[in-house]
Amino acid sequence: MSIQEKTASSGFELTRRDWGYLGHFRAMASPCELLMATEDEHLAREMMNVATCEAMRIEQKFSRFIEGNPLWKINHAAGTPSLIDNETASLLQFARQCHQLSDGRFDISAGPLMKLWRFDGSKIPDLADIERARALVNFSKVIFDEHQVQFPDGMSLDFGGIAKEYGVDRVAYLLAEKWSAISVLVNFGGDIACPVSKGAGNAPWQVGIENPQRLDSAAALLEIRQGALATSGDTRRFIEKNGQRFGHIIDPRTGYPVVKAPRSVTVLAPNSVTAGMLATMAMLEGEQAEIFLSEQEVEFKCFR
Amino acid sequence: MQLKNRSNISKALAIASCSLLGHSAQASANTEKPDDWKVDAAIMYYGEEDRVQAVEAIGNVQKAFGDESLLDMKLVVDSLTGASASGAVAQSETQTFTRPSGNGQYETASGETPLDDTFQDTRVQASANWAETLSPVWKTNVGVNGSKEFDYFSLGLNGGVERSFNKDNTTLALSGAYTFDSIDPVGGRPVAFSSMALRADYDTEEEYRTAFDMTRMAGSEDKKTMDMMLSVTQVLSRRWLFQANYGLSSVSGYMTDPYKILSQVNDTGTTQSYLYENRPDSRLKHSFYMMTKGALDAGVIDFSYRYTTDDWDLNSHTLETHYRYYFSGRFYGQVHLRYYQQQAANFYRPFLMAGEPLPEYASADYRIGDMTTYTLGLKFGQRLSGGHEMSYRLEYYQQNPENSGFDLVGQLQDHDLFPEVKAIIAQVSYSF
Repeated sequence: MSIQEKTASSGFELTRRDWGYLGHFRAMASPCELLMATEDEHLAREMMNVATCEAMRIEQKFSRFIEGNPLWKINHAAGTPSLIDNETASLLQFARQCHQLSDGRFDISAGPLMKLWRFDGSKIPDLADIERARALVNFSKVIFDEHQVQFPDGMSLDFGGIAKEYGVDRVAYLLAEKWSAISVLVNFGGDIACPVSKGAGNAPWQVGIENPQRLDSAAALLEIRQGALATSGDTRRFIEKNGQRFGHIIDPRTGYPVVKAPRSVTVLAPNSVTAGMLATMAMLEGEQAEIFLSEQEVEFKCFR
Repeated sequence: MQLKNRSNISKALAIASCSLLGHSAQASANTEKPDDWKVDAAIMYYGEEDRVQAVEAIGNVQKAFGDESLLDMKLVVDSLTGASASGAVAQSETQTFTRPSGNGQYETASGETPLDDTFQDTRVQASANWAETLSPVWKTNVGVNGSKEFDYFSLGLNGGVERSFNKDNTTLALSGAYTFDSIDPVGGRPVAFSSMALRADYDTEEEYRTAFDMTRMAGSEDKKTMDMMLSVTQVLSRRWLFQANYGLSSVSGYMTDPYKILSQVNDTGTTQSYLYENRPDSRLKHSFYMMTKGALDAGVIDFSYRYTTDDWDLNSHTLETHYRYYFSGRFYGQVHLRYYQQQAANFYRPFLMAGEPLPEYASADYRIGDMTTYTLGLKFGQRLSGGHEMSYRLEYYQQNPENSGFDLVGQLQDHDLFPEVKAIIAQVSYSF
């Protein structure tokens, strides 16, 4: 039995559960949840306020769909330098490291290619279009320091591959900083972080992993006391052509979706951005995903 | 094509993420002891105007063992003093009654409702319950409870299972309980319908004592109760849930109140003698309950209705509502309204007529007569730091007994045979 309560004003819903409170809101095009191991409703509401504010802030700042936001200005600078703040510089720095570590396969400038592969029908883009787009994709042409960023006209940046995981970690750390003794599981559309341990005496948080073959039913149950988890996969977005299944992970070096990639990869790591990046890199490995993850000595689950 | 140092990617990412997030990769390992103890303590006062006063201390301890098991222990100690209606009717003359023990007497002034002022007792109740979550959909619980007061001992066992369906939106629960009570009244059990021996009717103490002893039986009596309850709870929407219960209770054994009497009056309404009451030794009760509870923007509200009926023909209706409003996240106020109405048991008699044959069963206990009661309550709760909570409750409770159609003869018409009883309940609770 649970008695459910809702706060209309602040845009989140709070539900009483036997283990504490479950908070729900929408941000970054995902359902966002907080599982809070506290009986204190007032505190749960405070936590939800912190979480929604931070998630909204990150979405406002880094969504490429919001006209006039900082990212929009960078993308519309037409080759001129744009001023950036510390946070944007840190994200660019992280993106650069990921680009290098993935041997160029993770690229936040891959937007033009992504646009070609729409995954809403079974149409495969023309080779010529792919080549044109590919010419506009190359993160090594993005020049930045702590204060400004600059890249050739026609290119654009998309933080979609990092921002959600970053949001999860930011919210998780903000909460852990303020309430260091209360375990909270932050879940933004499957990207999860839980920085404060649930404690040895308590049952760990249980997270269901979707089976790509049977959507909407949890196929595996992962237990998490502390740490983070992220999933990358083409469970819902793909094109099938001549029996070939093209997932939504595109290798910017070829301009084509990665073949023989697992349907989904879930990785456990110390924080959500690390987990998310490992999952994405594993997808980019295609057939080698499991081998790659085994080498990383992380816990993971692949569905094929 | 693969990097040689591929195996270090996760470490490199972890380090990169640190500078991004400005924290150590390992989140602060704050392994504070989880707060799996919950303690509630409360002091309650119940006071009827000119009648029973009770002070009750309640202690409740809950200890969780993981998410699956919960131990709940409760101890209640209460102390009752004051007087309660004996069942005898008011008279124009002063009335003298023998105390239940046979030792001594008490008097009731003319026009007053006779109250037995020997009412004094301390009761200790203890219970322990173990709830276990067997699986995501099955829960079970078992419990024992006991209660001891001077003339009463009770021991009970209970257990139940709960099954949830439909992603926890529907819960079915079945529970059962068995209670054994042993009653050993002060001065012995009265012989049913025996006439109260009064010292004034006898020349010597010895003769009186012999007569009193004739009205008494030695030894204790017992009572067994079997309860069964079927309950369904349905989440209706994000904000509302509904619960319906059916309860069946079968009681057998001694249910007579050994301290209650009936006045036997003549045609003028004047009491000729006092007879000890007698109630049936079995009772089968059914209860039907419906409740809906809703979460509002800044509060919680519930409404419930209960109907009970039994083979004593004692039927009752209860309407109840609570409305809680959160003035802030830390402070709430709650209003409680309750309306209760019952129809008298078929053997209820406010008095007996002298010269008429005695019924098989009879009791003048107003609590099983026609009655309406009202409760109006206010509660305030305050959340303190560290998850502690303090709450204060104040309620006004009024019983309005009614005449269910008995003809009042002679002087009985001059007296209030169905006086109102007004009571105040005050409680202070602290949870931590």
